[in-house]
Amino acid sequence: MKISEIASIIGAEFDGEDFEVTGMNTLKEASNTEISFVSNSKYINDIKDTNAGAIIVDKSTKDYVQNGSVALVVEFAYWQMATLSKYFAPSIEDDTLAKAQIGEGTKVSSKAEVANGAKIGKNCMIMAHVYIGAESVIGDNTTIYPNVTVYRDCIVGNECIIHANTTIGSDGFGFATSKLGEHRKIYQNGNVIIEDDVEIGSSTTIDRAVFGSTFIKKGVRIDNLVQIGHNCVLGEYSVIVAQAGIAGSTTFGRNVVMGGQSASAGHLNIAPFTTFAARSGITKSIKQSGLTFAGFPLMEHRTWLRLQAKIARLLK
Amino acid sequence: MLFSEVATYLNSDLQGDDLEINSMNELSLASTSQLTFAVNKKYAKELTSSKAKAFLIPQDLVEFLPEYVSYIICDDVTISMAYVTKLFAPKPIDFNALASVIGKDTYIDEMAKIEKGALIGSNVTIMAGSYVGSNAKVGNNTILYPNVTIYRDCIVGDDCIVHAGSAIGSDGFGYSHTKIGEHIKIYQNGNVIIEDDVEIGSNSSIDRAVFNSTLIKKGSKIDNLVHIAHNCEIGEYSIIAGQTGLAGSTKMGRNSVFGSQSGVAGHLEIAPFNTFAARSGVTKSIKDSGKTYAGFPLTEHRLWLKTQAKISKLNSSKV
Repeated sequence: MKISEIASIIGAEFDGEDFEVTGMNTLKEASNTEISFVSNSKYINDIKDTNAGAIIVDKSTKDYVQNGSVALVVEFAYWQMATLSKYFAPSIEDDTLAKAQIGEGTKVSSKAEVANGAKIGKNCMIMAHVYIGAESVIGDNTTIYPNVTVYRDCIVGNECIIHANTTIGSDGFGFATSKLGEHRKIYQNGNVIIEDDVEIGSSTTIDRAVFGSTFIKKGVRIDNLVQIGHNCVLGEYSVIVAQAGIAGSTTFGRNVVMGGQSASAGHLNIAPFTTFAARSGITKSIKQSGLTFAGFPLMEHRTWLRLQAKIARLLK
Repeated sequence: MLFSEVATYLNSDLQGDDLEINSMNELSLASTSQLTFAVNKKYAKELTSSKAKAFLIPQDLVEFLPEYVSYIICDDVTISMAYVTKLFAPKPIDFNALASVIGKDTYIDEMAKIEKGALIGSNVTIMAGSYVGSNAKVGNNTILYPNVTIYRDCIVGDDCIVHAGSAIGSDGFGYSHTKIGEHIKIYQNGNVIIEDDVEIGSNSSIDRAVFNSTLIKKGSKIDNLVHIAHNCEIGEYSIIAGQTGLAGSTKMGRNSVFGSQSGVAGHLEIAPFNTFAARSGVTKSIKDSGKTYAGFPLTEHRLWLKTQAKISKLNSSKV
């Protein structure tokens, strides 16, 4: 899509040399053919390092744009980013793509649906009512149980097991909210990447990234009914027990353990080898490795035990 | 399978006579044709009284073995045991099973899938997108709403209702952990048994047992998005409200009631007729019947109310 078209879609003025924009991305990741946005003065510092070809900004941030990026000035940058995201959303299915490729020794149930452009490796088992979306890739020796949905463009590695009714790549929960309180969808144009030797339980959901990828690294184990928000990164061999939830863009180091029904806020960094007891509520990043936490608000597990003892004594 | 084949798979020596093994089981339940294991000296007594004839044990438990048995000595029994479960794991689909049997007046949507070996009773309704696995059984008059998955070998009784998107018999969450932090899958070779007159809400998950069965007894009612882990036993007429989670091997007596978003730790025993308020976190077994609990850590409900009153007073106090 041409930058001039984008300007007219979002109501910005543009009279420079026209060029083709290939996609949307964050300031950090955007290339010189991509468009980015600044919706929050927190990200002003990222402007000077960005390669973005164009940036959607508002009046308060427009003067920070430099390095030859085009500034498209609008009243409410986040809202217009949401507007534009729709134009870069891939079609849900694409009949023009080549027929799916299925590897040797792979069994695909006659009641499963593998969309055009998908690739499935060798010796996989794809059971009834499974859906594999357009341009998705499934590795070798992977077992996918009934009623699993893998949305388009998602990648599942080798030796993975995905249990029944789990959803990989549903849209992340992202909206721009107007002053009137209306919500405009931010189309989630990224994907989910699941590395090798990952097992995922039943009725779990892993949301696709808004830009880039939600990332589940090698050897991770995820139980039933877990929610993983868009753009999360789960480090190697992490363990997420049933009914835990992780909000968007949180990054775990390797071997992080989350107990049952625990939850994490978004945009956090969790050091490797951290353990969270069941029901933990994580709202801050953890820098030090190897500790065990509990409670909400979160504290070290032994502190939590002492506090609970004190609360029990209140009654006496 | 021969025990010597297990030894070869583990790259270890078989001590004693070779023998035929048909499955694995835990120490206290293993029969003469099952392979079992003991992890450490805590199990010495159970080991001595075991009926099994084939064992995976560490070197220091050899002296506690019963007479005339065969065994393999393992450096780390939990890891070896996990590897061996794979040898006994049934394939996701049994392509060699006999044709499925469907009872009279049963409706199966053309978009549903019934694998070979499944037995479906009479007057059953199975809606679009539902799946009944190899050798699974669904009793008379039962309704499976759309997109329900019943894994192989699981049993659903008569007069049950399973709502959309629920999964019955997915693998329990069981792994052995190596010293460098990898997780070795313990294949979940048991099943789920749901007795008669049970209702299960939408998008709930009931995991299959590692060995033997996860058991939901007669008349239980389970809400939406509930997680029931492997080897749990839910007593008759129990009620489990939405988003509650039970960890593995917990057993509860009849008419247990769990409010929404409750959580229960593993390996507990809960006496019958106990009620847990919403958000309860149960971490210890409950011996008395007929009480009402709340909170995390768990206390009796009336004490929880008093504690909350004091905590809210703390807020207005100067210290």
